[in-house]
Amino acid sequence: MNLLFRLGVYVVVLFLIAIVVVGQHHENARDTLRAVVGRTGRWIVWSFVLVAVMLGLEIVCIGW
Amino acid sequence: MVIRSNLDPARGVGMAAFFAGFVPGLLQWQLGQKSRAMMAFASCTALFFAGWVIVGERLFYWSLLSPDTSNSFGSTVLQGLASIGLPIALPELLNLPANALGSILAFDVTPMGERAWRLPRDFEHVGAFLTGASGMLSAFWAAAGHWDLRLRRDGGTPEPVPSANPALCAAISWLVPGLGHAKAGQKDKGMLMGAAVLAVFALGLLFSHGHAVDRANASVWWIAQNLFGGGSLFAALMTGPLRMEQAPPHLDLGVILCTVAGLMNLVVMIDAFTVAERSVFPVQKPTEAAS
Repeated sequence: MNLLFRLGVYVVVLFLIAIVVVGQHHENARDTLRAVVGRTGRWIVWSFVLVAVMLGLEIVCIGW
Repeated sequence: MVIRSNLDPARGVGMAAFFAGFVPGLLQWQLGQKSRAMMAFASCTALFFAGWVIVGERLFYWSLLSPDTSNSFGSTVLQGLASIGLPIALPELLNLPANALGSILAFDVTPMGERAWRLPRDFEHVGAFLTGASGMLSAFWAAAGHWDLRLRRDGGTPEPVPSANPALCAAISWLVPGLGHAKAGQKDKGMLMGAAVLAVFALGLLFSHGHAVDRANASVWWIAQNLFGGGSLFAALMTGPLRMEQAPPHLDLGVILCTVAGLMNLVVMIDAFTVAERSVFPVQKPTEAAS
């Protein structure tokens, strides 16, 4: 439950940050929102990759 | 529209102008705008001392690097800087003359003096906001000076008129995220970006039970939180004075979210400036520039 809560907050905040970052490259809200969904998705994938790499490094360097 | 300088839209106006920006009104004075220069200097100085009469030497405690009396080389250097009026307090440092005068008047490195840095004051959240706001106001006056220099250099004659003054757009975005975009002509985008900043800030306050924005307890985080001036003002008036009996379980998360909201608003302010700037100096796409 605690992990779900953290993931929920993480995804929502990532989406809100993406609005501000992507908004710089668009002139209206509709184009911004359209681009934000894809950008958030890419960031979530990269987040999982980052966590997987860190977990891998932890297993290699410290052990299971 | 003027397209003289679009091939190099990011060219700055030089280091001299950058450093002149630390003295409110100096750029306006150099541009011959005497009354605006005096207004800039007076507004920043008045705002600083309105807060300084409340917080006084507390600013040393909130400095990024506190000039305490430990015997390390770093502390000796910081004490030397503070004694000539250069404590590294942000954003007050951006209003260099008032910050220097205030610290020269308050600096006392004796144990009693140092004790006074640590003593909480009545209404110190409001005082801290006011001194911080003077630094931000100084930065906006500097941005206005830089914009006028840019217009003079690249604008040609007759001087073009932007959709809104870029520095003003950035300044009002500091107080209300997205309002600068609305003034510059991108109302719906401004509302969307503003709502995003407000939502992250509100989440931060919610998770921390209102204790996330507190210069007295988390002064380094407050530097970034204060980049959203409206939120920082709200916290100074409403949530800052709340008494914390017990640390809320998600206090750290709240502090980080409010800090992220401040950094997001920095992006919003810069974008508001850019939107207004591009109404005069549009950026060509590479294909257009080549042809």
